[in-house]
Amino acid sequence: MIRKGWQLFEPCARICLAVLTVMLLANCTTTTIDQYRQGDTGIETHESVVILGRRQGAAYETRAEFVECVGDRMGDGRDGVNIVPEQQFVDALFPWFEPRTAPMRSDDLEQLMAQPLVPEKISEFGVRYIVWLDGETQRTNEMGSISCAVGPGGGGCFGFGSWEDDSSFEARIWDVSSRTAVGTISADASGQSYMPAVFVPIPLIARVEAKACSSLADQLKQFVQGG
Amino acid sequence: MITGRQSVNVFTLLLLIILGGCGASTVTVQGSYPTPNVPPKALTLGVYYPDEFRNFVYTEFTDRGNEEYFVHAGNSHIELFNTLLPAMFQRVVVLDNPAAASTAGVDAVFVPSIDEFQLGIPAKTRLDAYEVWVRYNMRLTRPDGGYIADWVMTAYGKSSQGTFSSTERGINDAAVASMRDLASNFALTFDQIPEVSDWLRARNNAVTASRAN
Repeated sequence: MIRKGWQLFEPCARICLAVLTVMLLANCTTTTIDQYRQGDTGIETHESVVILGRRQGAAYETRAEFVECVGDRMGDGRDGVNIVPEQQFVDALFPWFEPRTAPMRSDDLEQLMAQPLVPEKISEFGVRYIVWLDGETQRTNEMGSISCAVGPGGGGCFGFGSWEDDSSFEARIWDVSSRTAVGTISADASGQSYMPAVFVPIPLIARVEAKACSSLADQLKQFVQGG
Repeated sequence: MITGRQSVNVFTLLLLIILGGCGASTVTVQGSYPTPNVPPKALTLGVYYPDEFRNFVYTEFTDRGNEEYFVHAGNSHIELFNTLLPAMFQRVVVLDNPAAASTAGVDAVFVPSIDEFQLGIPAKTRLDAYEVWVRYNMRLTRPDGGYIADWVMTAYGKSSQGTFSSTERGINDAAVASMRDLASNFALTFDQIPEVSDWLRARNNAVTASRAN
């Protein structure tokens, strides 16, 4: 009798398993990295890198969490580079790196370094490269719906939702010693996330921004080390 | 067993909680402001903070015209200028009364005021950020009250709407960002204001001439 019940259930379980496998595979993230080199690079052990987020735009601003993620990843490992925390650098160099006053082009760096007190402050941190991060993650193609209900006998959720996340970030690298732009690296990542709910919502999230962060950080680390 | 008196107390307490939830929230802007990296000008500046500036409170109303948020920004502005000005000028004297300037040995008196304050909160703007926009009127006078310069400055700040962050925190962060914006702009453009620039040039020429004599 039990076996007969399982036989009835088996096709359903197989279908569910197949759907789940397809979704797990589908929620993989695709990442594309592009690099454009304009000059030679290299970094000594006493030198450091500061990663700053662009926040001039009215429509979006580069999230501080993403900037921190890239910095943490670049500083990790035996070949990690010294990273100056963004807020510490911006506060110490106040008011030169605020959204309204920050240099926009590498030509502006030359003018900035001509200002009194600025070169001394930058050299106190040992900053060799300034990396400007600009970009955001957008959610598109949101579909489906999940309904949840709670009653005296318990509660549960039913439904299905899916969405796509697209991360697009660009890193411009300025060499403080030569006061020039030495390259640009862009990272584009996208992935589909699913949220089936049968009593309990099961999030199958594509970690798009995390993937963009790790890919960009690895490439940046290699770039500043001259690779 | 709940007695009649106890039930009245419980009812009163519940009523207070409900009414408390309906009242306006107060946000007292708090932040830290870094010292600007600019060479100090060889001036003794008197600064006078008018009462309206010291006690500035912005009231945000609901769509029905009820008070929703009180944003107390006066103290934070004073904290900002008390950090900013001593880095920009050789000596700064805070004046309790502008009339005291003539005996305080200052070269000029600076008087800031807030003309307009605007707040954007995600529930109303449908954006995912809190925004603060402020228009200031800055005045620089001679110690005897004579006109040197009068100019308008605007400041803008925004903060992201965090998933678990409160509205009060969002308003505070946007206000602090706008005040940093004001400070950075003020520090870098003070001597580019045409009247200020003319006055500084005339004053430097007078100092040079007196030294030559």
